[in-house]
Order: sequence, then C-alpha cells, then structure tokens
Amino acid sequence: MISEKHRGKRIGNQLLFTGPAILIFLAVILVPFVYGIYMTFFQWDGVSSTMPFVGKDNYVAVFQDGKFWQSIWLTIKYVFFMVILVNGVAFLLASLVTAGIRGQHFFRTAFFTPNLIGGLVLGFIWQFVFHNVAVNFGEKFGSSLFATSWLGDEHKAFWAIVIVSVWQYAGYMMVIFVAGLMNVPKDIIEASTIDGANAWLRMRKMILPLMVPSFIVTIFLSLQRGFMVYDVNFSLTKGGPYGSTTMASMHVYDKAFRSYDYGLGQAEAFVLFFVVALATVLQVYFSKKLEVEA
Amino acid sequence: MKKFNRALVLMMTLALVIVAAACGNSNNENASGGSASASSANAKEVKITFLNSKGADIQAKLEAAAATFKKANPNIAISIISTGDGQSPVEMASTLYASGTAPALIMLDAGDISKFQDKAADLSNEKWVADMAQPNQIAGKTLAFPFSIEGYGLIYNKAVVDKAVGGTFDPAAINTTSSLEELFNKIQATGVNPLLIGSMDWSLGNHFLALAYAAQPDGDVVNYLNGLKAGTEKIADNTAFQGLMNTFDVMKKYNAGKKDPLAVTYEKSAAAVAKGEAAMTFNGNWMYLELQKSNPTGEFGFIPVPVGNQAGDKANSAIAIGATKQVIVDKTQNSEAQQAAAKKFLEWIVYDAEGQDFLVNQVGVIPAFKNITLQPKDSLAVSIKAYNDAGKSIAFAGNYVPGDHWKVLGASMQKYLAGKSDVAELASDIQNYWKTAK
Repeated sequence: MISEKHRGKRIGNQLLFTGPAILIFLAVILVPFVYGIYMTFFQWDGVSSTMPFVGKDNYVAVFQDGKFWQSIWLTIKYVFFMVILVNGVAFLLASLVTAGIRGQHFFRTAFFTPNLIGGLVLGFIWQFVFHNVAVNFGEKFGSSLFATSWLGDEHKAFWAIVIVSVWQYAGYMMVIFVAGLMNVPKDIIEASTIDGANAWLRMRKMILPLMVPSFIVTIFLSLQRGFMVYDVNFSLTKGGPYGSTTMASMHVYDKAFRSYDYGLGQAEAFVLFFVVALATVLQVYFSKKLEVEA
Repeated sequence: MKKFNRALVLMMTLALVIVAAACGNSNNENASGGSASASSANAKEVKITFLNSKGADIQAKLEAAAATFKKANPNIAISIISTGDGQSPVEMASTLYASGTAPALIMLDAGDISKFQDKAADLSNEKWVADMAQPNQIAGKTLAFPFSIEGYGLIYNKAVVDKAVGGTFDPAAINTTSSLEELFNKIQATGVNPLLIGSMDWSLGNHFLALAYAAQPDGDVVNYLNGLKAGTEKIADNTAFQGLMNTFDVMKKYNAGKKDPLAVTYEKSAAAVAKGEAAMTFNGNWMYLELQKSNPTGEFGFIPVPVGNQAGDKANSAIAIGATKQVIVDKTQNSEAQQAAAKKFLEWIVYDAEGQDFLVNQVGVIPAFKNITLQPKDSLAVSIKAYNDAGKSIAFAGNYVPGDHWKVLGASMQKYLAGKSDVAELASDIQNYWKTAK
C-alpha cells in the first residue's frame, strides 16, 4: 500500500501523513527562526513603522554587551549544577522506587507531581517558602543560614533557583530512569550475583553501562531546559536581587521587550541558540560513544 | 483504496479551509468594524476594543463602565482586554498591531506615547482638551487622553505619626532631610519602626531615583535628561542627586527591614504601614488598595521626600505628580466609525455624570480634568489632590525615561539599598545607562 507505483501518488501519500506536521513546523518554527535572523540586521522598537537596516551593528553590540556575557556565564554555571543534581537525585530516587520498598508506586507519583505544576506557579510557591517559611524557621531555631531570605542575597538566590529546578525536574527524569532500570536484563544481574559481584560492583559494571541510553535522554533534556530557563527565573527572583540572577533568556527578553531593541535581542537570542546547539550536539556525540549492548 | 484516499484528501482540504476561514474571519470582523447589527438599533453596531494596562483592579470596573456606556449609546459595543501580569503595555500593543487587530483605545504608560506618534489619532480638537489641568502635547499635538493622575512620596499612617508628635501632625513641617530624621527619631521613641522601605525595582528606580531628575532647580526634566544623554550633565556632581541620596541614607538607617532589605515586598511594606507596625513607607497613591486590605478604615497621607537641607527649596515640600496612564486612539487599523466611537467614549468619561462616577468613585483615580468636581474618596488621593491644587508638585520623572530604566537602574538602587555599593558606583551606573539609552 505504501509502495505506490506512481511517483506522484507516492509523494501524495507521504504528504498526506507528513504534510500537516511539516506545515505546522514551517509555520511556527522555521519561518519565525529565519525571520528572526533577518531581523537581526535591522533596528526596530516593535512599534515603529520604519525599520532601518543596520547591517552587522547588532552583532557588534552583542559582543560589547557585558551584561549579556555575564548572563551567559551565569546560565552555564546554573546548567552545570542543575544537570548534575537533577540527574543524580533522579537516579537515586529511581533506584529507591524500584528497590521494592513498600508503597513505591505512591512515591513514584509523589516525586513526579512537582513536574505537573507549571514553572510560574512553582516559582511563586517557592518564593513564599524562601521569603516567609524559611525565614520564620531560621528565626525560631536561630539558624543563621535561614535567618534572612535567600532571595535577598545574590549567591543564595542562585542556589534557590537551582534547588527549585532540581525539585521540579528530578521527578520527571526519575520516570525515565525507572523505565531504564526495569529494562536491565534480570539474567545478567543474577549471573553476576552468582559470580560474587557485590551491589556496588553490579551497579558500576552492569547497571550503569546499560543505563547510558537513559542518561543520554535525561542529560539532553536537562541541558536544554537549563539553558532555556525563564519561568522559574522570572517568578522566583525576577532576575534579582539587583539583577544578579538574570539568566540568558531573561536578558534576551529584556533587551527586546523592555529596552525595545528587537534587533539586538534577536541577535543575542541567535548567539544563545548557538551555545545551546553546540552544548547539546557535543553531549549527544560523546555520550553515544559510551553506549553498550547487553 | 482509491475511495479511501479521496475521502482523506477531502477531509484534509476541509480542515485547511476551516483554518483559513477562521483566520480570515477574525481579520474581517475587525476591519469592517463588526458586521452584526443590533436588532434594537437601526444603525450598524460599531465594535471597538479597549486595551487596559492598569491591571486586574480596574478590569471589572471598566467592563461595567462599557456596559453603562452601551445603555446610552446602544450602537457602540466596547470590549475590554487587559495586558498580562508583568507584561508591558507596549509589548501587548505591538503584538496586537503586528496581528492587525490594534484596539481602538490603547492605555499606555506616559513615557511610551511618543513611540506611537505615527499611529495615534490627533485629539487636539476634542472638547476635553480645554478642560485638562495640564497641557499634554507631543510636537504641538494632543495625542493622548490622560486617564489618571498619580503621585508618590513617603506614605504615613496618620494615627501612628500623630501619636509620635503628640497632636495633629502637619506634613508641611518636614521640609529638610534633618527634619525628616528628627521625625524618625520621635517615632522610634514611641516604640514603632519609623519606616519600611519596599525593595521593588520599579519603585526605587522609576520613582525614588527619578526624584533626582525632577528636583532640578529649573524643574525641566526633559532638558536635564537630554543633558545626561549627551554627557554634559554629571549626576555625581548634581546637588539634587546628592541631597536625595543623603535622604536615602537616613531612610536606610531607620529602615525596619535593614537586616534583610531586599526581602521587603510591596505587600509587606503596605501591610506594615496599614497595621501601624511601621509609620511610613515610600510609594504612591495606588498603594491605597493594598493598605485597605490590612486596615480598611485607616487614614494615610503623604510626606514629600526632601532632597536637601534648604527649607525653602520647592522640591523639599513638593510631591511628584503626573499623568501616568494615558489613552491613545489608533488611526491606522481602526475605521473612521470606530475612531469616532472611541472618542465618544473618552468624552463620556469626562462629561457624563456616570462616566465621572466611574472614573473617580469606581476606579478611584484622581482625574486630570478641571471640570470634574467629584472628590476622591481615599485619603491618599485626597492628599495628592491637595498638593496638586496647592501647586506643591514636581514632575513625575518616571514618565520621561526609557522602558528599561526601572529594571536596570532599579537593580542599581537595590544594590545600594542592600549596602553592596556606594554612591560613586550608583552614580557611574546611572551615567553609563544614560550614555547608551535610546
């Protein structure tokens, strides 16, 4: 049925199934992307009816915008800690809820739940936790760590964002790890146990190598989400205190929609796109090499 | 097989047609000004949209006003849309312009009007222009309708401060930085925190810092800002700026939140003043709604922020007052009939008894028009009106700054508030900001 003789018919059949998807992809991804690149060569405030051509000026401005590179560096720092912590915590949780403890199905659901709350709402909830709950706790028990709001200090505010992101994504990655762990063949584990391998050895030599495909997926997802972080950043700290936690996406948004400089904002978004693309491609390339067959 | 194929193609085509039709339809509706004709009226109904950027507080009241207006003008239907939380009016308006569905009435922040110069209808010939308290012109034309006048300063809780001074407190007594410090001392002696400074960047950047721009000897904000842009004015050497920061240092010294200054939110500062836990905070008359939540019957007033120790200085006893929200009528994507309907609605607000009631009693704004004699109900608005009527006002300089001013320099002010920078660093931040400002 698929192998139609006539070429036209074959293409028609293929278009029938892929056409709608291609159309939507073109309309909402490709066209805006290309138009975005086009816009980087113009100066526009979003309202004006004239859009003067400025050539490479916007790109020159990107390299002169110190705050932008600061925000990129902060984002990279954030991604580094977030990826390690999210995957570490998620793997621990996954091992825990597949170990056969009582009520593990309940725990799976519970750990996954934060992911069902939108980033904005989550940010507001945690803002309350850091501003009020933690401070009250700190005052009551005389803990100097919590005596002042974390969101009022630039270093602690950064960690606040990391903590909230870990809390949000760990459950989601856990689900992927659970699927991976269930697919580890029981026979080889059994065989290694008989051969006298202890739990640590089994984990290191058997389970972890077989879990590489899961790790590729989770690290890819957390990398990409980390670089694109905006909602938690916005609702938790709004880039504050005094602009110290402004991540790259927020900086780009501010340039376009607060400074009304669409061209520069687009150019910075394009640079950010390169950074993210580079990081994820490298990650997938290198981790593919680690994959093994059971 | 063939039949199956044909049916699918038919379905796909149908789906496409529906999508295309849906897109086309919404465009059509807007361009022609609505085709549905009201059965009760003979004339065709004109549909217009009003973009509200004053938030959810007044959304319901605007909708009610539109309904009241429709009773008197059955062939004009106004639908009210609102900007999202945290979204700037320009952002929303530019989205609507890009999609070809610009509202007939667009409420903008005063500083953004000039961006819309080529899109805003000329309102110079409207009846209400003659009744405006202050002229409101850009390049010789009245392009915007001043929706509300707002002002800011040190908001104080009357009961608390009266008790501290032993009698009825007169805010005119505070006209120097040192007299303000004296008052802080007196309040502290009664066991109440003298003040709680809110750490919001918009408040510190566009309101507090902007006082320095407004308190220039000649009072010409635009001129001074042009000087900053050109680099001919040095903010660090400016007397008004130095005086303002001295006052800020005093405020910081008595700030009840100084242990953790950046954790003081808008809500927190309002609640503290309303409950009498702090005598004052720095904010504007819009805070009344928030104050009311904690203390519905409380009486509040404004004390000017002194910018020096010269008692006779006008800026020391004046409140920053200006028309912060302004409405333009779009002439590029709305038909003549729609523009006429929009102008009619603006006129209704100013001259109709119900319109005035909506503006003053329902929304609680201080009207920018001399012919409206209704007195505002809340004590903060009364206080602003008293300063305005007495001529004790300086410019609302936040109306003249670019859209990212509050965020960029608000952050610098927060840093200063937290004690992480000094006046020299703040001044250089300001100087650098204006050097690159567009």
